[in-house]
Amino acid sequence: MTFLTLFDMTIALLYFLGALFFLGGILGSTHFLKRCSLITTLIAFLLHTIDLVLKVSQSPEFFITQGQFYFSLLAWVLLMIYLVLWWRLKLQFLALTASPLALMLFCSSMAINTDTLSIPSELSLLWFGLHIAALFVSIALLAMAFGAGLCYIYVDKKIKHKIKLNKLQRDLPALTSFDQVNHWAVSIGFPLFTVGVLSGFLWAGFTWGEIFSFDPKEILSLAIWFVFAYLFHQRLALGWKGRKPAKMASWLFILSLVSFLIINLYLPTHHSFQP
Amino acid sequence: MQKYIQLIGLNHRTAPLEIREVFALNEVSPKQLDLWQENCPVKELIILSTCNRVELLTISQGHDTPIEWMLRSWARLCSHEPEALRPYIYILNHKEAVEHIFSVASSLDSMVLGEPQILGQMKDSYRLCVEQGTTGPILNRLMHKAFSVAKRIRTETKISQNAVSISFAAVELAKNIFGNLAPKKVMLIGAGEMAELAASHLINNGIQQLFVTNRTYARAVEIASHFQGQAIPFTEIYNQLPKADIIISSTGSNQTLINIKDMRQIIKKRKYKPMFFIDIAVPRDIDPDINQLDNIYIYDIDDLKGVVEENLEQRREEAEIAKKIINEEVTAFEGWLRSLSLKPTIIDLLNYGENLAQKELNKTLKNLGPDLSPETRQAIEQLAFSLSKKLLHYPITFLKRKSQEEESANYFTSLIRRVFDLDNEPIPPEAHTLKKQKKD
Repeated sequence: MTFLTLFDMTIALLYFLGALFFLGGILGSTHFLKRCSLITTLIAFLLHTIDLVLKVSQSPEFFITQGQFYFSLLAWVLLMIYLVLWWRLKLQFLALTASPLALMLFCSSMAINTDTLSIPSELSLLWFGLHIAALFVSIALLAMAFGAGLCYIYVDKKIKHKIKLNKLQRDLPALTSFDQVNHWAVSIGFPLFTVGVLSGFLWAGFTWGEIFSFDPKEILSLAIWFVFAYLFHQRLALGWKGRKPAKMASWLFILSLVSFLIINLYLPTHHSFQP
Repeated sequence: MQKYIQLIGLNHRTAPLEIREVFALNEVSPKQLDLWQENCPVKELIILSTCNRVELLTISQGHDTPIEWMLRSWARLCSHEPEALRPYIYILNHKEAVEHIFSVASSLDSMVLGEPQILGQMKDSYRLCVEQGTTGPILNRLMHKAFSVAKRIRTETKISQNAVSISFAAVELAKNIFGNLAPKKVMLIGAGEMAELAASHLINNGIQQLFVTNRTYARAVEIASHFQGQAIPFTEIYNQLPKADIIISSTGSNQTLINIKDMRQIIKKRKYKPMFFIDIAVPRDIDPDINQLDNIYIYDIDDLKGVVEENLEQRREEAEIAKKIINEEVTAFEGWLRSLSLKPTIIDLLNYGENLAQKELNKTLKNLGPDLSPETRQAIEQLAFSLSKKLLHYPITFLKRKSQEEESANYFTSLIRRVFDLDNEPIPPEAHTLKKQKKD
């Protein structure tokens, strides 16, 4: 076990360095540091992948009943989405959201101590995969929309109020690039979120015989789903762009985080990580 | 014999445009000035002529001042009397001239502080003079130094950052909103110098299409054909507006053309794709309240002027830093100039040899160990020092002999300094690539 702990520490350290390098790169506007950040993050991500595979292959039944595992997995998904967006849209600045968030989640996965989850015995890999993967990817996308949204709102306000952009802000991508992130997050994130929530309800239906049991997690998820659906409709049907979707996606992300961190850790729910 | 660096010239501060036009020396070869006679003190010459300045930079030798020669031949070339020229010119000597050339190259002396064109113009003028063979070791060195100073200032200060013209400021803002301007469509409402300038900057950024509209349709067609755009009738504005991403407006209209109520409809029709309005007209054509709508940005002439003024202020602050760099470089250049005379070069050469001998001696003596007899030690020392002196004997006598010849003295001192690397000059990065190119 000590080897794995050491391994985890290395990954956390690399994530930390990646986030730090990127911050330095942005502040000093040096390309070199940004490059370093990308490389360290990439290495950390690979190690993280190995780490997850090692743990799960060791004893799958044990690890998927551990709360820590989900923290680590969410961090991994977040980085994967960041790397995909970086690769497809060349939006490196998203590292500002992705790296610190992943670092936080990964560190929490090492720090927190949770009781064994009661995973229903009827667990099938299909349901598990659908439920977790779909939801985690959509949360990661929302995280990206959150970072891009904050940047959008800030720069938009400056241009609207005719306040001069300083060097740092002029080096940021254009407003339309931030909006593009939002577009991806909404148009891909919402269907995935729907799949995730739906599979959860169906699973609950098979396992406990009732689809909706007024669990706080279920209530919040449903609320998020409705807001998300509204945003999805406005964005794709009416063509909403800019400030409003940016704001809404940011709130959605905050709600998701509340759902993942606060409800799972402190409230009585099926998903509880509570010891 | 002592050489003098002198510069005479006029620029936008000392002479009005009519005078600058009359005395312009564009595309004039330096050989056309009759400064190349036996008794003229001018030895090296560079002409720099742009729309804002005409300057003659010379190296002269002898007791005569070359100023009168230069004035006379310059005025004659422009078919005028020297007296017509005299009130507008400035004369700079030696250190001042060097400082001035460095400032001009770094665009500290330009009408628009920090503008980049001047360096290119200087390089062209210099190339012409090199081809004509009117430059020598001092001006070559001075100009190369000026170019590297300009480069240093550009990288070390923020002097050429941020747009300082209204149309450039507008384009920069457009980039902050849209990023890539290539797929964007621009609409030009009304005509005017500034609006057309902004349009041409946008076209240089590769926009996809330009619509032009004007109260008189014929004028719209005229402008459209000039920019290869598409003319649309004035009444069609509302139908075409949803297509446009960037709108430049500058009509002489007293009423607002576009109001917030219409814009609500238009932006909805566009599916909320952002629009950027540049309203250069006075009184304004576009209701400034549309700025309240999401995804619509509007800058009027005062807003843009505000941006430009802030940027200019920043350049002025940067110019102060640049001046310090120039002072440093002027001092370094003066040092080099002084070393061009014979005596310091001989001393430098001898020092170089002695240092080398000492270094090698230390190495050898260390290798031979402590058991060396004092006689052997002395012999080795003597060998090293006399070898270095003998080796340098011929270069030194060569220099002494050449220093008698006025023409080539500077050239050979400068050459020897370079051969023995007495100034610790860095090797230019392109040195080896040039060699490779020649081989190909």
